Amino acid sequence: MGNPPHHGNQLAAPALYLNMHLPPRTCCESLLHLPFLCPSSLARLPRSRPVSGAAPCARLRGLTPGQVGVCRARGEVMESVRKAAEMVIEECQHQFRNRRWNCSITPRGINVFGRVMNQGTREAAFVHALSSAAVAVAVTRACTRGELERCGCDRKVRGVSPEGFQWSGCSDNLSYGVAFSQTFVDEPERAKGLSAGRPLMNLHNNEAGRKAILHNMQVECKCHGVSGSCELRTCWKVMPPFRRVGVVLKERFDGATEVRLTRIGSRTALLPRDSQVKPPAARDLVYLAPSPDFCRLDPENGIPGTAGRRCNGTSRLAPDGCELVCCGPGYKAGRAEVVQRCSCKFSWCCSVRCQQCKNTVTIHTCRV
Amino acid sequence: MAGAIIENMSTKKLVIVGVILLLFQAFAFMVGGLIAPSPTTAVHYLATKCVDKPNKPQQTKWFMPWGRKECDKIRSFDEAMAKRIEANNIVFAVHIPLPNKEMSPWFQFMLVILQFDIAFKMYNQIEDGSLVYIDVGLAYRDDMDSEWTEMAHSFEQRKLSCNFTATKTHENEGRYYECDLLPFMEVGSVAHKYYLLNIRLPVNERKKINVGIGEIRDIRLVGIHQNGGFTKVWFAMKTFLTPSILIIMIWYWRRITLMSRPPVLLEKVILALGISMTFINIPVEWFSVGFNWTWMLLFGDIRQGIFYSMLLSFWIIFCGEHLMETQFFETLVLGREELKMCDLCVPAIKIFPEFCCHPTKESQDQTERNRFSIYWKQVGPVVFGSFCLFIFDMCERGVQLKNPFYSIWASDIGTELAMAFIIVAGICACLYFLFLCFMVFQVFRNISGKRMSLPAMSKARQLHYEGLIFRFKFLMLVTLACAALTVIFFIISQVNEGHWHWGEHTVQVNSAFFTGIYGMWNLYVFAIMFLYAPSHKHYGDEQSSGQCITGDGGANSGEDLHLTTTITHLDGPTVVYKMTGKEAQE
Repeated sequence: MGNPPHHGNQLAAPALYLNMHLPPRTCCESLLHLPFLCPSSLARLPRSRPVSGAAPCARLRGLTPGQVGVCRARGEVMESVRKAAEMVIEECQHQFRNRRWNCSITPRGINVFGRVMNQGTREAAFVHALSSAAVAVAVTRACTRGELERCGCDRKVRGVSPEGFQWSGCSDNLSYGVAFSQTFVDEPERAKGLSAGRPLMNLHNNEAGRKAILHNMQVECKCHGVSGSCELRTCWKVMPPFRRVGVVLKERFDGATEVRLTRIGSRTALLPRDSQVKPPAARDLVYLAPSPDFCRLDPENGIPGTAGRRCNGTSRLAPDGCELVCCGPGYKAGRAEVVQRCSCKFSWCCSVRCQQCKNTVTIHTCRV
Repeated sequence: MAGAIIENMSTKKLVIVGVILLLFQAFAFMVGGLIAPSPTTAVHYLATKCVDKPNKPQQTKWFMPWGRKECDKIRSFDEAMAKRIEANNIVFAVHIPLPNKEMSPWFQFMLVILQFDIAFKMYNQIEDGSLVYIDVGLAYRDDMDSEWTEMAHSFEQRKLSCNFTATKTHENEGRYYECDLLPFMEVGSVAHKYYLLNIRLPVNERKKINVGIGEIRDIRLVGIHQNGGFTKVWFAMKTFLTPSILIIMIWYWRRITLMSRPPVLLEKVILALGISMTFINIPVEWFSVGFNWTWMLLFGDIRQGIFYSMLLSFWIIFCGEHLMETQFFETLVLGREELKMCDLCVPAIKIFPEFCCHPTKESQDQTERNRFSIYWKQVGPVVFGSFCLFIFDMCERGVQLKNPFYSIWASDIGTELAMAFIIVAGICACLYFLFLCFMVFQVFRNISGKRMSLPAMSKARQLHYEGLIFRFKFLMLVTLACAALTVIFFIISQVNEGHWHWGEHTVQVNSAFFTGIYGMWNLYVFAIMFLYAPSHKHYGDEQSSGQCITGDGGANSGEDLHLTTTITHLDGPTVVYKMTGKEAQE
């Protein structure tokens, strides 16, 4: 794994997962049913021209027939779906950087996040919610940049664009993003039927992810009446930054409810395993199975274990402290010489001119 | 001024007039709430990061974010680092409107607001008091194939006021600052179909330009314009109201000129009010659809300012005229010793002692009443405050006619100047309202004083006073009702989301506010001109009365006419007088 250019942090470790380029051999099949984890196949899609015809969409492995249909109908959106995948990986790894399972990517295997996604655990719930939110956010951003042809004027008061736009403006791009996320990400679950536990759990968590965006919108207003007074005031809603969505979903992850499939009359529903807990709201995350022990290495299930993880040995109360991250055997300290960038000259973007400094730092790692 | 139509109207007719006006008012609200869409729309744009390669020959100077000739893009600045692209080669491109849509002259104006998405980094934080220097160009074209024509170009600076809500540690790197909205651009007319904005943030370390502004991830713009549907409904309303007000104004002035006496001050002020209302109503904005007149926005502000000044002056002159009329009449009859002052009335004299017991001042008072210059203390604040706001508007919107990117709030000096103008205007408004309240209080004190002595007077004077009091109270009531309605609706429109759902219909509350309040003030001016026009129903009957005051001839012929016109309508408004709480008590 080559060192990606990072922004001059003192410790190289926290920046390790930033700008991670996906290893090219990641398999395209994913139980998340998101084909974006196969950048090579999507890279074959011509960028600015919409995907037409069945051939390019069918070549994307990992899509269900319903998703291929969506790909064919709205082909230019697939680029946003790919961007959504990158956002999911980056945000998940940021939120879980201090936990025993740190959302690591397996270089080979069926599932990018490891087989832990198969088991209906809390972590799977979080990843599903985050993916659904990421698709909505990425599609909305693409609409706002003007990259998509049909956005925000699909459902309207008076007629279809452009007359409707001139009479009363268009609805928010976010509605389009959320609707696309519902169509695309929920589709495989619906295809499996609503009577099994896992699809119901996935559908609930997907919706929780979208709701995390909708409930964290901010309203901003501008007064522009006579002489700038508030006689005429225009307000609009702003989408939260994706980091905020990650923080909210992490909180829901911490408070997730364990449920099981129960039959009520002719329908099936997910109700809490503990009958004294109140039923989960639409915003909460649910999971079916308890999480495995992430301490030991388990290659079959794709759990890397905590051995070799960096941790903060200086402070006992820090969130990434070694006591919390490492398991039984504890941790060990070592000294290493690190070449870091120092006295960097920053600009608002792009070029950073740094010098190289050599430093001897103490590094703590977890024992096997 | 005496003998207005309102005093000579029977209750039934007054109620019918009131009901008709209320119906029109309800219609005005419904037009806005049910037919018109929301007044404005906000459209979000996210700038695309184009690359301006210095060694590549430039075919086009303008960078287009999507479409056939789209620019070389980078997805994020991390990609720029990898490709070794400098900050000075990045151009943020925004195309207004979004694909498959066109801008239209019915949008009336375009207001763009800028927001930066700046990420927190420990070693690249936003410095206090940092300024962003923006190099921006605006171009237009009318079809998708032609070349871009430059409309404006400017090098602007804006103050960044951002704050970071979480703790500034390594943990929180990557979270965004919370930054205030920055005013970016205001164009007073939308004459073309497609607009393109190219924004650069040039870096010059030696001159400290764009240094210390954090790590910018994205630039977001919000474009605000008026909805075409709302504009069309608004124009229709103005086109309907203009002939109505013109007709009543012409009718009113004809009645005044038909009188034998010259018009009094109050009548002239009412006419001036009508003229300023007509000035607002004339739909000059229809021309904005065909011509590119960017000064329409400023012109609309000026018209509204003139109307508000006129309205405020009218209120205070109305109070003043009624105050002096009651006092003038009293000193007149006291001076001639036709009546004795009741003990209860003595306090009223103490307000203006100079008017008491100087019979030689009668003729002087008569001429003084009709002069505008005695109101300089009250109308002065109104004029001065309006003038301050006018200068402020010229500084902001006037300069924007030349440079759409100018904002008076961008520099410190500009902000202080703007605040100074606004504060002075606010002080003038407070002074005016103090004067107005004081005058209203005086008139009411006069009225209560007058009421005690009413039974002792002759029938003529009794009716005269009753007429005055009724006229004053009616206008007070109606004005308070209109002002209260305006304030209530303003508060509702600010607090509310803007539209209510009622079954399957959507009621646009904001549009209803605009059309309803606009219609209400038009109806108010209409009602004033109609009800306070001089009534000359019995204009030839000076000789038939029995209670003439024989006086010095010339100077007193005015009051003869006043008195006679009220006497002959003994039974007319008595029921209405009872309504307003007037009762002659023994």
